[in-house]
Amino acid sequence: MELTTILFYLFSLITLGAAAFMVFSKNIVHSAFALMFALIGVAALYVLLYADFLAATQLLVYVGGILILILFGVMLTSLGYTFNFKTVTVNLAPASLLSATAAVLLIFAFVTTDWKISEIAEPTDTVYDLGMLLMGDYILPFIVAGVLLLIAIIGAILMSTHLSAENREGV
Amino acid sequence: MTQNLLHINPIAILVHAAIPLVIILVYALVAIWAERKVAGFIQDRLGPMRVGGWHGWAQSIADLLKLIQKEDIIPNDASRFLFKFAPFMMFAASYAAFAVIPFSSSYIGSNINIGVFYLLAVTSVLTLSIIMAGWASNNKWSLLGGMRSAAQMVSYEVPTIATVLTVIVVTGSLNLMTVTEMQSGNDILGFLPNWFIFQNPFLLVAFVIFFISILAESHRVPFDLPESESELVAGYQTEYSGMRWAMFMLAEYADMLLLSLLGATLFFGGWNSPFGDFMSGPFWSFFWFMLKGLLLVFVMMWIRWTLPRYRVDQLMHICWSILIPLSFINLVLVALWEVIF
Amino acid sequence: MVEAIKSGWITFKSIFIGMGVTIRHFFGPSVTLQYPDERPVIPDKARTKLYVNIDDCIGCHLCARACPVNCIYIDTVPATSDVDLGKTSTGNPKRFWLTRFDIDMAKCMYCDLCVHPCPTNCIYMVPDYEYSEFDRTNLIYHFSNLEPAMVAEVKEKAEKEAAEKQKQREEMMRKKAEEAKKKQMEAKKPPQQNTDGETGTKSDKSDNGDS
Ligand code: SF4
Ligand code: SF4
Repeated sequence: MELTTILFYLFSLITLGAAAFMVFSKNIVHSAFALMFALIGVAALYVLLYADFLAATQLLVYVGGILILILFGVMLTSLGYTFNFKTVTVNLAPASLLSATAAVLLIFAFVTTDWKISEIAEPTDTVYDLGMLLMGDYILPFIVAGVLLLIAIIGAILMSTHLSAENREGV
Repeated sequence: MTQNLLHINPIAILVHAAIPLVIILVYALVAIWAERKVAGFIQDRLGPMRVGGWHGWAQSIADLLKLIQKEDIIPNDASRFLFKFAPFMMFAASYAAFAVIPFSSSYIGSNINIGVFYLLAVTSVLTLSIIMAGWASNNKWSLLGGMRSAAQMVSYEVPTIATVLTVIVVTGSLNLMTVTEMQSGNDILGFLPNWFIFQNPFLLVAFVIFFISILAESHRVPFDLPESESELVAGYQTEYSGMRWAMFMLAEYADMLLLSLLGATLFFGGWNSPFGDFMSGPFWSFFWFMLKGLLLVFVMMWIRWTLPRYRVDQLMHICWSILIPLSFINLVLVALWEVIF
Repeated sequence: MVEAIKSGWITFKSIFIGMGVTIRHFFGPSVTLQYPDERPVIPDKARTKLYVNIDDCIGCHLCARACPVNCIYIDTVPATSDVDLGKTSTGNPKRFWLTRFDIDMAKCMYCDLCVHPCPTNCIYMVPDYEYSEFDRTNLIYHFSNLEPAMVAEVKEKAEKEAAEKQKQREEMMRKKAEEAKKKQMEAKKPPQQNTDGETGTKSDKSDNGDS
């Protein structure tokens, strides 16, 4: 077996194991850290696919950004300073139904798609092409995404100023 | 790149990958000793003098040997796996980032195109490992330290990235090797080296912002809130002992070196000699590179023994209402400069 | 805007001034004394470890009385008439055996008060400050140079002599009493009993003063 294949299976195993642990863990902080392992595993898989930029983005945005936000959210809530946040399962039946449907759909798509297998060709410069595509063909979605984020930021600022103004009135 | 590497002799890969490790370890021993000496000299003391003869040079080795013998204490209520794992993850993150640092004109761990971007991405894992350590210790000081450090690093990542971007705007490449190569030669005013810090005034501003943010990112005074001894005992390291604690120390010093080297690469011409072609072989380039990085490290130590610590709100104020707007304005100005000239 | 630039300028200026100060100290000389290798010069009047030149001590207890924390313990035994303890170097005659002269340096607070009252200047401070011990009883310094056997002997002798003197004194008292009786018999004055008692005690006192 080639080293790449071994690495692929290793990282897939890490990703899947961490994801399973995340779902089944009773402690929400443990789940969050398991999510971290899963995300890092996915990043490693991206690297194996020559998508180095995507891998780094995955790390920077998901691990370095969103996961930290999740942890902040968990820890700064009133229960956050104790060890015992237990997760409880709600909506067991609809949730399993939904995930089962999703799984069926995914497997169906996987089986029916006519996968094109291309030769492994190491792309020399992913960033350059990506930038060209983003600023050329996909300029509209790029700008829309940017505007969306801007709106989100303005919304957040509005909310916080509104809240602090209310607080001031309360005092 | 990956594919190529996988066909080479594994031992060669290991040796190739271990070069930064050796550099980090030697540097950490020297830096910890140097930190104490600098502290001593600045306070009109001498610092460690006894171990090893000349100016106590073997002090950190003795400390290391002591730390190895220490008991590895894990608190009863700690979350065992995370507690044990955090220091290693932290060191792994800062060590992995060294892969894209061009140590010399002929050595770079991995010459990938996304260089700086990869470095920033990998170092963002540091934050998580600190939260992990802080939370797993099940100790209020640790948790507070971890939270503070996470808030601090997430905030200061923004100006760091913005200032790194200003350089990237100038170079047009994320690869640190290319960035360095673009700075060789002595053309500015006839004698100054072509380093970015001299190239235009906005890059100087960018360097100042960058330096302030890396001080905060590597938890150095005046931004050492995550481990401020007088408030939080030792922050997220409070419950750690022995080798695990040493790993944290190592990772911190490695992080310091990493960011200093990044600064040296981006603004001070990396491994380029300041005298043009004079003294510029592969070995000399390594020498110049380390010299620049260590000088920045020295400045960090110097600042540490000069300035008092900021409060949390001041820290956030500096970041969000001064550094971030400044760095973005600066980014635009640099871009304009590049368009005009 | 101008305000912001001004305050930024002040910030950087103060940081650089501070860093200038620290770098000057960085290159300046250090004040550290490499202790076991180099030692400080102890000033003349430094208060340090106590020493007693036991040969000069006359056992007057003045130092023990002066000590505010009572950490000097002195036991004396009067010398018998057959031995001559000689004189101190200052010329004072010595009349006591010093069976015990202990100073508890753990209790001592280095106030120097015991040094000055000494009539023979034999208790003084020596410039030694390194005498830590693992057991605090080792900090009780014994200055008496008498052997235990000698102590016992001296005590015995002194007791004997004291007993002898007591006897002599009793003898004398008896004689005096007899003489007094005789006188009384001769005089035969009315306030007999009273004067008898008074003279008796008086003579007793004068006896004591002589010895
Ligand atoms: S120095 Fe003071 S405390 Fe010490 S023995 Fe003399 S009188 Fe007592
Ligand atoms: S004052 Fe001097 S002579 Fe008197 S008992 Fe003390 S040491 Fe001896």
